This record gives sequence, C-alpha cells and structure tokens, in this order.
Amino acid sequence: MRDGEIDEILKNAAGRTPKVEAAVLRRVADSIQPSMRRVRPLPQTWVLAGGLVLICAAVALAGAARAGFYGFEKMDLLERALIFSTLGVLAWVAGTEFVNAMIPGSRRRISAGGLLGFDSVVLVVVFALLFHDYQTEHFVSAGLLCLATGVLHAIPVGLLSWLVLRRGFAVNSVSAGVVAGTLAGLAGVGLLELHCANFQAMHILVWHTAVLMVSAAVGALVGTVGRFRGRDLQRVS
Amino acid sequence: MELPGRNGLQERTGTDKNRTTTLPLMHPESNLEMLMARYQAGDFAAATALIDHISPQLYRFFVGQFASRPDADDLLQETWLRIHRVRHTYRPGEPVLPWFYAIARHVRVDHYRKAVRTTARERRLEEMSQLEATSPGETGKGDDLEALLAPLSESQREVIEMLKVAGMSLEEVARATSSSVGSVKQKAHRAYEKLRERMSAMRLRRGQSEEKS
Repeated sequence: MRDGEIDEILKNAAGRTPKVEAAVLRRVADSIQPSMRRVRPLPQTWVLAGGLVLICAAVALAGAARAGFYGFEKMDLLERALIFSTLGVLAWVAGTEFVNAMIPGSRRRISAGGLLGFDSVVLVVVFALLFHDYQTEHFVSAGLLCLATGVLHAIPVGLLSWLVLRRGFAVNSVSAGVVAGTLAGLAGVGLLELHCANFQAMHILVWHTAVLMVSAAVGALVGTVGRFRGRDLQRVS
Repeated sequence: MELPGRNGLQERTGTDKNRTTTLPLMHPESNLEMLMARYQAGDFAAATALIDHISPQLYRFFVGQFASRPDADDLLQETWLRIHRVRHTYRPGEPVLPWFYAIARHVRVDHYRKAVRTTARERRLEEMSQLEATSPGETGKGDDLEALLAPLSESQREVIEMLKVAGMSLEEVARATSSSVGSVKQKAHRAYEKLRERMSAMRLRRGQSEEKS
C-alpha cells in the first residue's frame, strides 16, 4: 500500500467525522462576546529576550558590586573574554528559548532538558580549558557557600523574568520552568565568576556549574506547582 | 458551517454577526492572520469568522484523540475560552494554525490529566482497549478516523491528524507540538508504517471475506 492511498483513506475518514454543531459554535461566540476588547500583542522575541539578558546582567553586576569583583580582578584577559562572552551567548539562547516557551506555537530549537544539558556541558568545557589548579581545599564548605550565593541571586532573575513574560502562556509549564531556571542559573554563575576568587578547577567545575542544575530544578518544581495550581483555579472558576 | 482545511473561507463582516458576506479571498493562511489581527483589535465579526473556520478542525482533532462527542464539545469550548484569554500571545506574521493547535493540545492534555484522576479514565481506557482489540473491518466503522488511528500512539496520532487531516506543514506541526521537524518526521514515518500494516491486513481480510461470499 502506497503513502498516497493512505492519505486518501485518512482524508475520506476525516470527512466522515461528526460535525461540530452550530449551537456549540454559537455558544462559544456568545461566551467571548462580553469580553471582546482590543489587546496589545506581545513584542517580538528579540525584544523580550534582550530584556531577559539585561535582567541577568543587571542582577549579576548588582550582586558583584555588593559582594566585590574579586574573581573578575583575578582573571586574565583571555579568561574574562572567554567566560563572559560564553555566558552572554548562553543567556541569549536561554532567553530566546524562554520567550518561545511562553508563546504558544513558537519554534523550539532545543528542548528544555537539551538546553540545560548543552549549557552545562559548554560551561564545564570552558572552565576545564581555563582552570588547571586541581587542589580541593575546603571543597565542600567553600562550594556550598558559592552554590547558595549563586542560587540566591538566580531567584530575583527568575522572578523578574516572570514579570517580563507574565502576559505569556506556557503550554508546558514544567518545560518553561526548566528553561527559566536555566536562564536564572546563568545569572547566578555570572555573579560567581565576577565575585568568587577561588580558581580551583574542581570547585568551579562542580559548584559553579551546580548553580545551573539547582536553579533549573527549582524552575521545574515551580512549573509543576503552577500546573496544578492552574488546574485548581480552572476548577474553581 | 463546515469549512474544509485551508481551501476556502467565508468571512462575516460588519458588527452584526448574522450578516455574512463573502469577501474576495487572499491566500487562506494570510486571511487567517488578518482575521486574527482583527480579533486582537476587538472585532467580534473576525472572532466569529475564526470560530466558524477553525472549530471544525479542532473538533476533528479532539474526536481523533478518542474524545467522546460531549467531551469534544467541552474541549472545544474550553479551547476557545483559553484562546480568548491568551489571544495577545499571537504575534502578527507568525503562523496561525500552530498557535491554535498548541493551545488545543494543551487543553486536551489538561483534560486527559484530569480524567486520569477520576474514574472516567478507567471507562475511557476500557473503551480504548475495546476499540483497539476490535478489528476495524469487523466493527463496520472501520473507516472512521478514530478507528483508523487506533493503533497509533498518542503523539503519532496528533502528528498524523495535523499533517494529513488539518493539512499543516512539518514546520507548523513542530511548532504546535513544541518539538523539532526531525522528530515530527520520525513520528509520521513510524505512524505510516503502522497504518500501512493495519490497512494491508484489513484489505486482505476484506478480500478473503468477499471470496467466501
């Protein structure tokens, strides 16, 4: 049997599907009529993504301004250029994907999990290329401090990003949560790179990159809660 | 009332929804985009034209996913309420159908999740398993879309419906399902393999029964 024949059978079968009743269509039209008014469409993706990247940069810089630019001062030019340009590109990609996740029918270039994996691998590779001090002094205590600092700074980015895209509609809130968490996590990593002067390779590879993972996990959790809350609200209404 | 896929579009104009006029048609897709823009501008006539044009497709989409007729009616209404609430998320210049289908898909998934938590799920699964266990050729309803698509997985079914019934492109289906074009192609390919197998078996059975008679 050829594909064309299958197409024909499917088309014929679709033609025999029960028709939607005119009364249902009337009911739908009547239900939306009272709230008909002009709405302002969302801005273009690049505008929204640009706003998100600016939020990331502002929060990271504000955090570092308060805590000190010790990491940035200790870095050489190559390290500065490579780390911050990479973070900028990753934040742009994550910002674009977050916008796409909040607008139904948008083109998704990468899945939420794929984005998290990609960003983590890129950061690990860049850090592994630049840092070669393999001591592990105060590995856990210093690491936990960096993780907490990074995640704490990711939270305002997540909240502000939601504020920017609050008029959007995530068809998959968990996926949108992971992407938002990844974006916020990048801001947290950015802050750590500006502030943290501990250049031990394992510290940076494990604890700085972990900010991304933890932040994405928190995003997924918020997305899951949001999905259930959304359903409860629907039931109430 | 029923309008085929993308072939034509009779548009209501003016503020009186009972008054209908056929406008000279542009490309159907750009016509939908134009209606959507007018809907966002608060034009009720454009909204009703969209409801008339898109609803049959969405209804078929729900019925094809094993929704009963009353369920499909409810899903359709819920979808339009959701569309109305988030109509500002459509941006002029973007394809319209993926936007509609992405929301319809979300409503259907929500409905399914809700059903999972109630006893209705058991009933539906029972119905589904009965449908799948019965050969379409034997039910006498073998040519129904639901019966034809019964052997496919949920994701394959929705891809086939969007591609072959709604007439959307691979790119549009990818947008509607938040996946990549490659993934859509793969699902369509696997679905066609299953459909080919199923339909060839049906044809063989029919041939044998005709020989006997």
